[in-house]
Amino acid sequence: MISPETVEGGIPKPAAYVAKDYRSDLKPIWCPGCGDYGVLGAVSRALAAIGRPPHEIAFISGIGCSSRIPGYTTAYGFNTVHGRALPIAQGIKLANPDLIVLVAGGDGDGFSIGGGHVPHAIRRNIDLTYIMMDNQIYGLTKGQLSPTSPRGTKTPTSVYGSLEAPVNPLLYVLAYGAGFVAQGVPADLDGLTKLIEEAIRFPGFSFVNIQSPCVSFGDAENQTKVQRAKMRKLEAEGHDTTNRNRAMELAQEYVQTLYTGVFYRDPNPAPTYESRMKILQQGQ
Amino acid sequence: MNDLTIGMAGSGGDGIVSAGESLMSAVAKQGYFAILTKSFGSQIRGGESSCRLRVGTEPVLNQGGTLDVAVALNWEDFLRFGGELPIGENTAVIYEQKCGAPPEALHLAVHPPGLIQAVPFEAMALQAAGTRQAKNNLVLGLLAHWFGLPGDAIVAGIRKRFAAKGEEVLQGNERAFALGSDYAGANPLVPARSLNPPLAASRCLVTDGNEMCAKAALFAGCRFFSGYPITPATEIMQHMQRELWKHGGSFLQAEDEIAGAAAAVGASFAGRKAMTATSGPGLSLKTEVLGLAGIAELPLVCVDVQRGGPSTGLPTKGEQSDLFAAAFSAHGDMVRPVLAPISVADIFGVTVEAFNIAEQFQTPVIILSDQEIAQRKETVAAIDTSRFSMIDRLAPTEAERVDYVRFRFNASGISPISRPGMAGGNYLASGIEHDERGEPTASGEIHRRMNDKRLNKLNPLKQRRNLFTIEGDANAPIGLISWGSVAGTALEAFRAARAEGIEAKLMIPRLLYPIAEEIYQEFFASLRTCLVVEQSHQGQLHRLIRMWVNVPSQFEAMARSGANPIAPRDILEALRLRAGPPVHSPRLQANNLPSPI
Repeated sequence: MISPETVEGGIPKPAAYVAKDYRSDLKPIWCPGCGDYGVLGAVSRALAAIGRPPHEIAFISGIGCSSRIPGYTTAYGFNTVHGRALPIAQGIKLANPDLIVLVAGGDGDGFSIGGGHVPHAIRRNIDLTYIMMDNQIYGLTKGQLSPTSPRGTKTPTSVYGSLEAPVNPLLYVLAYGAGFVAQGVPADLDGLTKLIEEAIRFPGFSFVNIQSPCVSFGDAENQTKVQRAKMRKLEAEGHDTTNRNRAMELAQEYVQTLYTGVFYRDPNPAPTYESRMKILQQGQ
Repeated sequence: MNDLTIGMAGSGGDGIVSAGESLMSAVAKQGYFAILTKSFGSQIRGGESSCRLRVGTEPVLNQGGTLDVAVALNWEDFLRFGGELPIGENTAVIYEQKCGAPPEALHLAVHPPGLIQAVPFEAMALQAAGTRQAKNNLVLGLLAHWFGLPGDAIVAGIRKRFAAKGEEVLQGNERAFALGSDYAGANPLVPARSLNPPLAASRCLVTDGNEMCAKAALFAGCRFFSGYPITPATEIMQHMQRELWKHGGSFLQAEDEIAGAAAAVGASFAGRKAMTATSGPGLSLKTEVLGLAGIAELPLVCVDVQRGGPSTGLPTKGEQSDLFAAAFSAHGDMVRPVLAPISVADIFGVTVEAFNIAEQFQTPVIILSDQEIAQRKETVAAIDTSRFSMIDRLAPTEAERVDYVRFRFNASGISPISRPGMAGGNYLASGIEHDERGEPTASGEIHRRMNDKRLNKLNPLKQRRNLFTIEGDANAPIGLISWGSVAGTALEAFRAARAEGIEAKLMIPRLLYPIAEEIYQEFFASLRTCLVVEQSHQGQLHRLIRMWVNVPSQFEAMARSGANPIAPRDILEALRLRAGPPVHSPRLQANNLPSPI
C-alpha cells in the first residue's frame, strides 16, 4: 500500500499509482503493430499494481528494438550495451537491494550475445525480473537470423534457410534452475500484466518469455491475431505450476504450442544472493 | 655494505620462496628496508621458482641489478631465470654440491674462487632434520652467517612458521639453520662481506601491491567489487572479497571479465564507488564496458595489473605494454584517465586518487599496476592517511531534481548525477548518444556537443602537478622519464648520476593519460636530450608523449620487453653516455642495451 503523506526531496508522492505514472513522454521508435507496445503497457500496469514509486525502480536493458523500453518508462533506466543488461542489473541490485530491478531485452540480446550471462544470473538467484521480448528475429538491423529463429528460417543472413536449431528460452532457464518461469503474449494484455506482476513479486530470479511479434520482419503466422487464436492458457489446462519436470515437458513444445501462463513457480523459493549477502554484511 | 641483493632459485617444492619471505620479514623487523620479488614458471605446482631479495639500510627503490649472492638449489632451474638472476664479477655463487660444477653458460671459469661455494644442501638438511624440506632453512643459516643478517629474528620466524607443525619438525628446521650457520663459519667467503646494521629501528609494514591496492580502495570508500580471477591480479579480488562485507559492501565473482566490469558499472549507476581488477587479457574484454561508462558518465575504477602480452603472453611476469590499450582501446572518441603507481607504497595514493578522479569527473579510470608491484613484498612505512581527502560525485540538489536534467551542459562539463532511489532524479542512462535529459538522439549536433562535454571536462586533470614527480636541476640539459615499477630503477640511477655530477632532471608521471602537454613542455624546455625508460618493446609512453608534445631533438626510448628488468646500471651508463664526451663502453654492449629507437 502506498502511504499518501510521503514527500521526499520536495517531490509529492501520489496516493496511488496508475499505469500512466510509469510512462514517460518519449515516443517509442517501434513500428505500428509491434508487440513491444503491449509489453510496455503490461509492464506499466504491473508496476502500478505493485505501487512502488518510479524512482525506486531500475529498468535495465541491452541493445535492440525491445531494449529501448526503459526510456519509455519513468523508472531509472539504463539502456546499456548489447548483451550486458543482466550483469549490469545484478550490480545494481547488489549495490541497492531495496530497488525493484527489471531487465528487458530481445532474444538476440539475451540468448545470443548475452547468452553466457543468463545461467549465472539464475544460479546466483539475485532478485530481478528478466522480461524477454522474443520475436525470433533481429528487428533493429532489419531482419537477420536470431538465436530463436526456427530451423529453415529464410532471412538476409540465411537466404537458403537457417541451418541451425533454435535456442529454447523456456527450457534453457528451467534447466538452470530459475525459480519463476512464465510465458505471455501482448495479445493477452491482462494475462501478461498479471504474469509480470507475479514475476516481480517472486522473491528471486524470475523470467517471463514474451512472444512479442515483429510486424516488419517476423513470421506472418506469429502475429497478434494469430497468437490470440493459437494461445493455450496453462491455467485452463490444469497445469501444476509447482511441478518442474512437467514444466520442462511443456517447455519442449516452445514454438509448436503457444502456452501462456506460469510454467513453474518454486513453492519454496531458494534464498537470494542478497539475503545471504546481508548476513555477511552484518558480520554473522 | 649498505645494500645486499640475494637471488635464489630451485624447484617448486624446495621452499625457496618461503625462505625469501622468512628473510624478508626478519630484516623488516630489524629496521632494514627491503623488496622481495618472486618469479615462477607458469606451472600450478612444481616447476621452477625463484625470488630476489634486496635489503638496504636506506629505502630500497627497486629490485636491483646484478646479484650480490646467487643461490642455486639446482642449475637447471637457476638457468631458466636467465637475466632475472644476473651474476656479475663480484657475485657470491652458492650451489648444491651434488648438482656438479657451474654450467659453462654462467662463465664462472675466471670467477674469484673464494666467492664460489659448493654446499651439500640436501645431505646437510637430511643430517639436521631428517628431511630434504629443511634445505631452505639451511640456506638461511648460511646467508645469515656469511652476510651478517639477523639470525635471531630469522630463527624467531622459523619458530613461528613451524609452531603448528609439532616440536619435532620445528627442532629439525632450527637444527638445519644452525648447521648452515656453522658451515658458513667454517667455510668463509673471500672476500667476506657483511650488511651494515640498520640505521634505525623503524616499524615497517610488509605488504604487496595487490593487497595495498585493495586496502586503498576500501579506504577510498569503494563498496562494490566484481571481477574474474586472472594472474597476476587475483589477490586484489581475494582481498576485496574478504574485507568488503565488513564495510557493508558487496562483492560478485563474475562469470567473465565483461560481466566483472559490467556489474561494477551497474553498482556505480546505483550510487556506489565501484572497482574491478584484471590483467591485459581481461582489459581487452572489458573495453566495451569502459566505453559505456565513458558515454554514460559513470565513475568506475579498473585496475590492470600488467603482465607480458599480447594474448595470454607471459602470465606470471610483468611488463609495461598495456599503456596503449589502456589509453586507446574501445571505439569512439573517448578519453579515460590512466594512472600508474611506481611502488607498493605508491599504489595506495594512486588508488585513492583514481577513485577521486572517477567520482569528480564521472569517468572510468584505469590504474596500470604491473606484476612486479602487484606481487612483490615491500617494506612500507606507515601511511599518513590524513593527507588524503575524499571526493564524492556531485549530487543534484532538491531544486535541481524538480525538473532534473542529468547531462546538463555547463562550464565544467560535470553535471550533477542522481542514483536510483533518489526521488526526482529519475533519468535514462545510456550507451546510445543522448541529449541533456538523457533521451536517445541521432543528432550530429548534439553528439558533437556531448563529445565536447565528455572530453573537455577532463582538461583540469592535465594541470594536476601533484600527479608528477619532478626532481633534479631545473635547467639541466639531460632528462629522464620513467613510469610504473621501472621508475624506481630510474630514480636510483638518476640519483647516482647526480652524485657523479651529471646535470640531469627526472620526471615520473603518475598520470599517463591524458597527456599533460604543458607539464611536459615545461620539463622539456631546458633539455638537449631526454630518455624515456620503460619495460615494453615499443616504448609506449615515449610514443604517446610524441603525439601531443614537441619533444627535444634527442628524444629516445630505453624500451625493453620481457621479464628481464632494466637494471639501475643500464640507465646510469646511458646517462653517462649522454652527459660526457662519447666514451667506448664495453659493458654497455655486454648488457645488450637496446639501441635507442
